[in-house]
Amino acid sequence: LLFAMGLGTTITFASSHWLLAWMGLEINTLAILPLMCQSHHPRAVEATIKYFLTQATAAAMLLFASITNAWITGQWNLEFMSYSLPTTLVTVALALKIGLAPLHAWMPEVLQGLDLTTGLILSTWQKLAPFCLLLQINPSNTSLLLILGLASTLVGGWGGLNQNQLRKILAYSSIAHLGWMILVLQFFPSLTLLTLFMYFVMTFSLFISFKVNNSTTINSLSMSWSKTPIISSMVPFILLSLGGLPPLSGFMPKWLILQELTKQSLAPLATLAALSALLSLYFYLRISYAMTLTMSPNTLLNALPWRLPSNQHTLPLAITT
Amino acid sequence: MLKILIPSMFMLLTTWTSPFKQLWSTILMYSFLVATLSLTWLAMPTDTGWFYINNYMAYDPLSSPLLVLTCWLLPLMIIASQNHLAVEPENRQRTYISLLISLQIFLILAFSATEMIMFYVMFEATLIPTLIIITRWGNQMERLNAGTYFLFYTLAGSLPLLVALLIYHSSMGSLSYLSLTSLPLTCSNLYANKLWWMACLLAFLVKMPLYGVHLWLPKAHVEAPIAGSMVLAAVLLKLGGYGMMRIMIILDPLTKELSYPFIILALWGVIMTGSICLRQTDLKSLIAYSSVSHMGLVAAGILIQTPWGFTGALILMIAHGLTSSALFCLANTNYERTHSRTIILARGLQMVLPLMATWWFLASLANLALPPLPNLMGEIMIITSLFNWSFYTLILTGLGTLITASYSLYMFLLTQRGPIPHHLILLEPSHTREHLLLALHLLPLLLLIAKPELVWGWTA
Repeated sequence: LLFAMGLGTTITFASSHWLLAWMGLEINTLAILPLMCQSHHPRAVEATIKYFLTQATAAAMLLFASITNAWITGQWNLEFMSYSLPTTLVTVALALKIGLAPLHAWMPEVLQGLDLTTGLILSTWQKLAPFCLLLQINPSNTSLLLILGLASTLVGGWGGLNQNQLRKILAYSSIAHLGWMILVLQFFPSLTLLTLFMYFVMTFSLFISFKVNNSTTINSLSMSWSKTPIISSMVPFILLSLGGLPPLSGFMPKWLILQELTKQSLAPLATLAALSALLSLYFYLRISYAMTLTMSPNTLLNALPWRLPSNQHTLPLAITT
Repeated sequence: MLKILIPSMFMLLTTWTSPFKQLWSTILMYSFLVATLSLTWLAMPTDTGWFYINNYMAYDPLSSPLLVLTCWLLPLMIIASQNHLAVEPENRQRTYISLLISLQIFLILAFSATEMIMFYVMFEATLIPTLIIITRWGNQMERLNAGTYFLFYTLAGSLPLLVALLIYHSSMGSLSYLSLTSLPLTCSNLYANKLWWMACLLAFLVKMPLYGVHLWLPKAHVEAPIAGSMVLAAVLLKLGGYGMMRIMIILDPLTKELSYPFIILALWGVIMTGSICLRQTDLKSLIAYSSVSHMGLVAAGILIQTPWGFTGALILMIAHGLTSSALFCLANTNYERTHSRTIILARGLQMVLPLMATWWFLASLANLALPPLPNLMGEIMIITSLFNWSFYTLILTGLGTLITASYSLYMFLLTQRGPIPHHLILLEPSHTREHLLLALHLLPLLLLIAKPELVWGWTA
């Protein structure tokens, strides 16, 4: 199954024909579906179905757009999309695939239904293939991408504010970061890649640390200082880095994106995007409060849960902080 | 410069590798050494030049007093924290000291930055250790709220600053201080230019803090442990003032009219926060509001943009840093004995702790700007330059000085004079450590009477 997933993404990477790209995306989706409903919990099955429906819709839209392009221009090559209707349609389809606002509604619920490892794969690996397609097409509609990006950052910030389930928070953080990536896509694509990889690293470490603590709600995080004290002291830095605070490395993509936006005279957009990052910072801060900054001997936030033995995968975590 | 920076970085290493029994004394000696070395910065052979170290760090008569203040404060913070950290496990003590040291490193880098983006990054970077100190080692439940207010007020102000700096960079090509004087942005009266002006200054006004956006300060100061309060009051507020002074150069033609509301807000804030001080029941909150009041005067002095205004602002910043920090240490001595910040619970201390009363006396006198202390010098210069700008400010500043005097005296009389309350049965005698701490705070202040040229800046 994992091989199939890898195969799917690689096919999409290597393709320059729309049909092949579509096939890669479909293989990817189909391969992850059994992974998602492995636990046979109704929540997981529901998440799987929602994911399947949204991804299938997106893939169908993608196919439709590429056929339209082939009909108009007569060729199937990826880089040469020159008409606005197919390009816009492709952008929207890919936005649905990765979960940009306003096409983001499936993301929190799907992530909530999965366990943390599958959720990790969903947030990181699954974003690679659509992004490589997004990078290759010529966006002819500037404002569409900007609107998608700004809406995503705002939605990602506001949506995560009232959550206490960690997976939903991670979903909203994913939406917000993808928004930042899309903002700069048409100006400076390498920055998109940079943001993508920085996001991967930070999310990976966050997911793994939550997995080690075996916690899925904010409340259950507050005992992590006794289970894994070193991780507990590292996680605030990861979270604040996701929020984009200098001098942590999460600031770098945001800084460069803002620089690029101001160079393109999009200063008000830059300000709005920067301020929306504050929204998501609020819930990152809240998580770090629960986890680290209220350690004993200050008052504890919940009673002592069962301490089950857990895998100690702490080293990769320390490296990826 | 590197002589100070590299040892500071290695102090982090020392924190984690010293044997535990000698941890505090080692760190104290090390930081005193660094502080003494930093005094060499004050010796300036030329009056206006920059002292280069490399492409990224330099210092001039504006930043060197602030740098020396930062370096001087680290040993003082360590002395002050020794008591309340004694009960913590070993690793937590080391972490705390590492946070203080990393804060100092960021502050040194911030004050000596030559490029505005570097200053910005370090300005933001100081937020993280301060946040961790306040929320982890603060004492009351409201500290989480305080940390949130602190972080968000400062960030909401400084993100527009980042965008504004990037705009300036994209149109002018460079953000280095050295070339800033020759590259003012063209002044046209577009609305967007006014927004840009506002964006540049907002971060520093929030950090100062200006009266309207000062809400984070009482919360943060009150909830922070003693070292946090000290560094917040003494240095972090001055980051705002320093940044404002640096960025005024490029804001020039617009500032003539645009600064009117902020000068008035600052002066009104002096009076309002002074009046709030007269009705406070919480000692640390009183000192925090007095900080807002003094920094309001500093903000007004900087926005006036005259040489005397700048000089007065700088002197008042240094003097206020030492005074406020001393007052917080005194409040902490009360807190460590009674575990409460309420003023009326610890009255009449002159009977019980007479030598501490001396320090209270000196610190209160410094707070109300008694001549010949440098506090007065700063305030007089700012008031004079404001009077030169408009006669009517004298009403506001005069009233402000009066209220400052009254609440400083109020604080002194309430804590020291009068009968001791009946419930105070057991008060530890003053430690030598505490006397040392306060002496080290007030001694530079007294010595500055003799040679104020050290902290004049480059305009007087």
